[in-house]
Amino acid sequence: MKKRTLLRLVAGAALVPSFGLSAHADTLDEIKKAGKIRVAIDTAIPPFGMTDDKMQPTGSDVDLARLLAKDLGVQLEIVTTTGPSRIPMLQTNKADIVVSTLSITPDRAKVIDFSVPYADHPSVVAGLKTLQIKQLSDLDGKKIAVVRGTTQDTDLTQKAKGAQLVRYEDDATMALAVASGQVDLLATARSLLPAISKKNPARTVEPKITMQTNWLAIGVRKDEPKLLAWVNDWVKTNLKNGKLAAIYKQYHGVDIPTDELLAKTGS
Amino acid sequence: MSYKFDFEFLAERWPDFVAGAWLTIQLTVLAIAFGFLVGTVCALARVYGGPVLRRLVGAYVETIRNTPLLIQIFIVYFGLSSLGLKLSAEVSAVLALTINMGAYTTEIMRAGIESVQRTQLEAADCLGLTRFQTMLHVVLLPAMERVYPSLASQGVLLMLASSITSQISAEELTATANLVQSDTYRSFEVYVIVAVVYLALSALYRLGFWAISLILFERRRRLGTPL
Repeated sequence: MKKRTLLRLVAGAALVPSFGLSAHADTLDEIKKAGKIRVAIDTAIPPFGMTDDKMQPTGSDVDLARLLAKDLGVQLEIVTTTGPSRIPMLQTNKADIVVSTLSITPDRAKVIDFSVPYADHPSVVAGLKTLQIKQLSDLDGKKIAVVRGTTQDTDLTQKAKGAQLVRYEDDATMALAVASGQVDLLATARSLLPAISKKNPARTVEPKITMQTNWLAIGVRKDEPKLLAWVNDWVKTNLKNGKLAAIYKQYHGVDIPTDELLAKTGS
Repeated sequence: MSYKFDFEFLAERWPDFVAGAWLTIQLTVLAIAFGFLVGTVCALARVYGGPVLRRLVGAYVETIRNTPLLIQIFIVYFGLSSLGLKLSAEVSAVLALTINMGAYTTEIMRAGIESVQRTQLEAADCLGLTRFQTMLHVVLLPAMERVYPSLASQGVLLMLASSITSQISAEELTATANLVQSDTYRSFEVYVIVAVVYLALSALYRLGFWAISLILFERRRRLGTPL
């Protein structure tokens, strides 16, 4: 007990000259002090986050988090999360950052901060090959599966008022609903379609309408300027050196638009 | 860490919570009613049925009581759909909850039926009651009166457990909470509200069970004594 108090005093004293008397703890310092970074990742969104045959987390978001922790010089602690609980995890300090297919949206930006984007993320309405769907108005009266709280959910709720949205808790359940025949249409990320079709090849789905292209970023709690600046620099560096592109290519089989991403970062 | 509560979203979203609570009530009242019928028939079969029927009911009860409700719901919703029988999320939820409630009710009602003493049946026979009259007045109603607290608790438990039907896209109270939470990001507030609503629903259900007991158990109503 005593030793720890002493350590804290020393650490506190060390901070004083460089930052003055800061009112609340700084997450970047805490991460370095703890020697580990807690990263919230949804491991039920292949190929971003998933578990391999040895039940170990893997995927492009997982590899990105590993690379980030290595460059920061700390251990990686993966906090598994789900789509709807990604942001609450950050708000309630259960995680230091979120790397979990998190698209930048204005609503979300009100409650958390985003890093510069590290990948693109087109979302589509997809359906069975036999269905004739060309535009959003073709969706009237049809059942469309979405994951609750995702950008596709919000988007379609506003743009396809005639459609009946069927909301599931995660991608795995939504994929099962498509594979088992509960629904013939779904709105999701393009990256997910191959995995869904694989579940039941007789019900292979194809993209019908591209709704919008989102940009994936790392989520950081509000008022963490040091951590955010470090993460931003890290993303830019690894976009330029091609490491992030390589991770994406390995898991998704497509290239990220590196130039467009770099243009968005303003460098 | 200081947290500022903000219930402002409630002004706009309260109809969602009402709709969610209403679906929870519909799903669970149906499931409790059907489950009670299934359970009573199965309990009679288990006590008075032949060896084959008894084993079948026993297998049903043990299977349901020893598997998670979520798995049962998934089997009804996704499993039947894979076989070509497409049920909506709400129908699947009622079906799965009924099957679940039925199994627990079977055991509760069996305990009640077995508590009716042989001498009571003999007395009914002496009084010349028909088989149906004996079953209703001498066996079932007193049996139910004895185990009624357990039945009521099971009903309330089922209402609370119905929250996991949100997993198959039934837009009940918990699903509503998840939806509002994901729109407003006020997760703490939303779940506090929903907890309070569930608490109120539990109180409402217990009140309902109490009212039903007044109607059903005439003897107790008049004498005010336990059986």
